[in-house]
Amino acid sequence: MHRRTRSALAALVVLPLLAGTVACTSGSSDAPTEAGDEPVTITIMGKPAATNTAAVELFERQVAEFEEANPNITIEASDVPWDAKTFATRLAGGNAPTLLRVPLTEPPALIERGQVADISDVAAELESFDDLNPRVMQFLERDGAVYGIPEKSYAFGLVYNRDLFEQAGLDPDSPPETWDEVREYAAQIAETTGKTGFGEITTNNSGGWHLTGYDYTHGGRIIEQDASGNWTAAFNDDDAREVLELWKAMRWEDDSLGDNVLGKQEDLVAEFTAGNVGMWVSAPPDVYPNYIAAGGDPDAFGAGPMPQGGADSTLAGATVLMVNAQATEAEKEAAVKWIDWRALRPNYDLEVAAETAEASAADGLPVGVPVAPIFSDEAYAAYRDAIDEFVNVPVDNFAPYVASLGAFEYVPEPEVASQEIYAALDPLVQAVLTDPNADIDALLADAESRVNAILAQHAS
Amino acid sequence: MTIAPERLGGADLDRTAQAAAAETAAERERQRQRRRRGRRSPQRRRAAIAALLFLLPALVTFGYFAWWPILQSTVLAFQQTNLVDPAEWVGLRNFEVLFADPLLPKAALNTLWFTVLSLAIGLPVPLLCAVLLSELRRGGTLARVLAYLPVVIPPVVAVLLWKVFYSPGETGVVNSLLALVGIGPLPWLQSPELAMPSLVIVATWSGAGTAILIYLAALAGVSTELYEAAELDGASVWQRVRYVTLPQLRGVILVLLLLQIIGAIQVFTEPYVMTDGGPANATVTILLMIYRYAFLFGDYGVATALSVLLAVVLIIVSAIYLRLTRSWSSR
Repeated sequence: MHRRTRSALAALVVLPLLAGTVACTSGSSDAPTEAGDEPVTITIMGKPAATNTAAVELFERQVAEFEEANPNITIEASDVPWDAKTFATRLAGGNAPTLLRVPLTEPPALIERGQVADISDVAAELESFDDLNPRVMQFLERDGAVYGIPEKSYAFGLVYNRDLFEQAGLDPDSPPETWDEVREYAAQIAETTGKTGFGEITTNNSGGWHLTGYDYTHGGRIIEQDASGNWTAAFNDDDAREVLELWKAMRWEDDSLGDNVLGKQEDLVAEFTAGNVGMWVSAPPDVYPNYIAAGGDPDAFGAGPMPQGGADSTLAGATVLMVNAQATEAEKEAAVKWIDWRALRPNYDLEVAAETAEASAADGLPVGVPVAPIFSDEAYAAYRDAIDEFVNVPVDNFAPYVASLGAFEYVPEPEVASQEIYAALDPLVQAVLTDPNADIDALLADAESRVNAILAQHAS
Repeated sequence: MTIAPERLGGADLDRTAQAAAAETAAERERQRQRRRRGRRSPQRRRAAIAALLFLLPALVTFGYFAWWPILQSTVLAFQQTNLVDPAEWVGLRNFEVLFADPLLPKAALNTLWFTVLSLAIGLPVPLLCAVLLSELRRGGTLARVLAYLPVVIPPVVAVLLWKVFYSPGETGVVNSLLALVGIGPLPWLQSPELAMPSLVIVATWSGAGTAILIYLAALAGVSTELYEAAELDGASVWQRVRYVTLPQLRGVILVLLLLQIIGAIQVFTEPYVMTDGGPANATVTILLMIYRYAFLFGDYGVATALSVLLAVVLIIVSAIYLRLTRSWSSR
């Protein structure tokens, strides 16, 4: 009942509002506002949490400087993080933030649903826009239009516990590079330490997300588009079968996946931080700050390349700044200016980079976590030089991961219906990991028909 | 306000005399009342207006926050919206999508299975606890507090606690307890077969306290004379429960049973927090599907269509239930 009331309330709010919005947008597109003159107020996400006082101070200083440089723009910042559950209703109520900061998995669906604005025009005016890494920008462009600007980008890699590697008699400086090695290492860790050799997650769409990432390393794809533009499922093949067979063998033959496979990313971060998991797959630069915040030992953290099944590919994505679809032209322009000021400038303006790094280091925040660069490799090298004296992260522990970043092809998440597809794949992964007699061929065929049904529905 | 009946009767004497043969005393009484009502009507109307005025805040609140949204959601079930552009009418498209979803029958069966299990455990356990508690001569208050304690814990916290208890392997809390009697270790939430019963245990644990309190209150209202009489007749404990307690509580039992059915069909927190519908869809429920359609897939139309369907089913179930139990409850 409660949920129904909620969605009904959303509807209730949206109807009268829509009339106004439609009137507004049609009015403003007829007569685009002159840039830079009219006062405009934007609400933005991405303010650091209040408990993180130094980061908040830095942020507020940036806001003040920005407002001084752009006297017509007023910024109202919020530290409320992204929440898919409330976003739609806030959008309906007309109080969704102008600037959205969304994680990893959200952009494809937001673009598809038309809930974020096309910012091609204003983004193209940015000085640094053309230098943004095309490997990252491919996730944010759709049919030639730009929908977001990356704050940081990520690629799947292997996160591992260097202490457990040593205890198991493995060399912590040479993590496994293939799935066969992963299986071997995991069995060894499980046998010698009694801990989970290789951690796996399967709920809240993480099972589908991981299956997709693993499938890419074998050269597989989850969906494909035919000549006439129709999308169909493409994973009922040997590539996905190899992933599932490996899981099955590690779970039921080697017993190296642990007993608890029904969790999500946060659960595994907690288990890994507690030293109970040898290896798992995620975006190492994204996991590291959470690992440190939860009290993890920096020296025990290892980041390796995404294990490969022969394709030299990895799933990639980005933490992205996007603009609410209801924003006016002036708001869009102001939001993109702020994105440049806060997110892009510290990557290409070396003075700002050093200042930001210094402030972060002073507060004990991780500085210098190696990432997949959002600008060119040369710009990234210059940035690393500029922040060098403030780096407080054991960079060497990330060396195997960093070395792999330039070598692999970055493959984006499924272009349409990614969340629905992941949700349909979760049960497949769960079945293999919770039922020793799971019939992989039948499960794949079943999941294929479900995903095809989802894709057909999206096309209609 | 009082009008002397003699005077009324006196004024009507001649008319009553004309129809005396046909009229019974009861008919006269009815007429008299009708006339009285007629005379009072302006006052009554005023009273009704006052009552309406007093009701108005409640009516407006309910209207705006309950009935109007219910109406709107019924409308939304036939529309598609991204909450940005105007909603589009799509006819029965949402229902077609819903019925084409292979997960729907599975979710419906799971919800039914959860309801059956939670009635099988959730109905007798609180009743038994309440009867036992009412028999306690000492420590009754403490026992009542202990029984109600789970209700005080915020649901999500309680459910997360149970997730830890259910930890598979030998070190899990429940498994180490079971190991004492030589059972297990069981996979609990990790097993497609055990996951649903595991959720039912949690739901019963967290919901029993309220039911126990209601039963206890009803038990306090059962006249002790009935028990004394039964005892004098040589009734055993079981016979006293069977022939005195249960019939005396039947009204409460019937209402609680209906509330439990409605509550169980709307199960959400346990599968959402503990299993996310897994493993392999073993605990996907209707409400979890509604949640996913709305907040994961952003398809509010289909989510609302499913909500409307669920509401219709609940109304039908309630109506059938009330009809079936009418004779029993009014006995």
